[in-house]
Amino acid sequence: MVKTVALGVALTLWLWGQEPSVMVEKNCLSCHKAHAIPSELIYRRYLLRYSTHEAMKQAIVSYLSNPNPKNSIMPSPFFVKFPMKQSSTLDKPTLLRSTEEFLDYFDIKKRFSSGSY
Amino acid sequence: MYSSERKSFIRFLIIYLGSTFVLFFVALVIFYHYQKNQIITHQMQTLEIKSQYIKSHLRILHETYDSVLIYPVVEGLDSGIYTLEKQYIVGTFDKPVSFETFMRHDSKHLLHVSKIEPYYLGGAYLVIRKPIDYSPLETLQYNSTLFMLIAGAFFIALGIYLGRLFIAPMREYIKTMKDFIQDTTHELNTPISVILANIEMLETFGKCNTHKEFERIQIASKTLSILYDDLTYLNLNHHYYRTIQSVDLSELLRSRCLYFDAMIQDKMIDVTLLITPDSRVDMDARDAMRLMDNLISNAIKYNKPKGALMIELTHEHLIVEDGGIGIEQTKIDQIFNRFTRLSSSQGGFGIGLSIVRQIIVHYGFVLSIDSKLHKGTKVMVRWSKQ
Repeated sequence: MVKTVALGVALTLWLWGQEPSVMVEKNCLSCHKAHAIPSELIYRRYLLRYSTHEAMKQAIVSYLSNPNPKNSIMPSPFFVKFPMKQSSTLDKPTLLRSTEEFLDYFDIKKRFSSGSY
Repeated sequence: MYSSERKSFIRFLIIYLGSTFVLFFVALVIFYHYQKNQIITHQMQTLEIKSQYIKSHLRILHETYDSVLIYPVVEGLDSGIYTLEKQYIVGTFDKPVSFETFMRHDSKHLLHVSKIEPYYLGGAYLVIRKPIDYSPLETLQYNSTLFMLIAGAFFIALGIYLGRLFIAPMREYIKTMKDFIQDTTHELNTPISVILANIEMLETFGKCNTHKEFERIQIASKTLSILYDDLTYLNLNHHYYRTIQSVDLSELLRSRCLYFDAMIQDKMIDVTLLITPDSRVDMDARDAMRLMDNLISNAIKYNKPKGALMIELTHEHLIVEDGGIGIEQTKIDQIFNRFTRLSSSQGGFGIGLSIVRQIIVHYGFVLSIDSKLHKGTKVMVRWSKQ
C-alpha cells in the first residue's frame, strides 16, 4: 500500500512537471487557455466516445476542418458557454500532427498508477 | 461346484459386473462432467460479478478523472482494459499484455471478456483471467471415486449372491442328473446281476432247485421290464398317442397282481384283493397299467417283509394300502417330484409317482395319500371324471 501511494505521488509530480510540446501549446492550448476551454474535459469526452487515439484524431480533425455543433460530440450547452472555433488555418499535416501531440499530451495511459480498492 | 456350474457362474459375473460397471461408469462420467460444468459456470458467474465491480470503478475513475488514476485491483484475478482496436490500456500486469496473449487458450485459467459501454477511460473491452479453483473438482473426483468403490463392492456382492441364486436350479438339476445316472447304473446292474448269477447257477449245478432260480430270474426280468417301461413312458410321454377306450380295470388289476406275484411271494407279503367286477374307466390301457404297476410296485418295494398289502378296486376308486415304512407328513408333497426318492435303501429312480401324477392330471382323477411313518401308506385314486 505504501509502495502504491509513493508511486502515485511520484507519477503526479512527473505529470505536473511534464510540459506540452511547443506545437500543442501554440496551435491548441494557447487559445484554449485564453477562452478557458477545458481541454481535459474535451479529451475525456472524446475518449468515452471513440476509445482509440486514431478514431479520436479523425473526429477532432474532422471538427477542426469544419467546426460546427453538428460535427462536434460536445453537448450544445458547451457552445453556449464557449465560443465556436473558427475553421483551422493550419495545413493538413500540421493539423494532424498537432492533434496527435494534443492527444499524446492528455493520453490516459500516462495518468494510471496501479493500486487496489 | 461343478466345472460347468463354475463356468456359468463366472460368465454371469463377467456379464453382470461388466455391464453394470459400464453403465455406472458412463453415468458417472456424465454426472462428473455435468457437475464440472456447474462448478465452472459458477466460477464464471463470480467473474461476471467481479467484472461488474471493476466496470463500476472504471466509471467512477472516468467521472472523477483524478490527476492519478488507480486501476482497480481485485485479489485472486488479473484484469485489463483494451481499446476498441484491442490495444492494451491498463491492467493489473507489470507490463502490457496483448489481447491475443490474454485470450490464449489455457486450461488452467478462466477467461471472461465483456464490453465496456460507453468506453470509460477509453476501454472497450474488459478482460479478466482467473486460475480455476480446482478444490471443488478435487472433492467431486474424490466423492465419485468413493462412490464407484462402494457401488463396485455392493454390486460385486450382489452379483455373487444373484449368481448363486440363478445357478441354484442348475446345480440341483446337475445333481439330479448325476444321481439319476448313478441310480440307473445301479438299478440296471442289480437285476442283471441276479439274472446272470442264477443262469450261472443253473449251468453249474444243472438240476438243482430250478424253480427258485427261475423265480429269481423272473423277478429280476420284471424289475427290468418295469424300469424300462417307466423310462420309456417318461421319455415318450409327450409324443405317444393315447387310445381312449373303456378299460376293464378289474381284469387288468388281476393280471397285474399276477405279474407282481413273484415279488410279493419273495417278500412274503400278505395281499388282500377287493375287486368289484367289471369296474371300467375310459382311458388308455397303457396309462391304466402304468398307474397300477407304479402304485403296486411301490407298495411292495416300501413294504416290510411279511407286511400287508390291501388293494381295493370299485367303480369309484382304486385304493392301494401297504403296511410299510410310511412317509413323513412334511415330505408327502415332494414324493410326486421326478427323481425324488424317500429312501435310498430301496431301488428305483423316483419316477413312479411322477408318472402316477401325470396320468392323474391328464384324466382329471383325484389322488389322495394318507401315510403314517413306520405304519404304512394308503393311496386312493378316485375316478371322479366318471
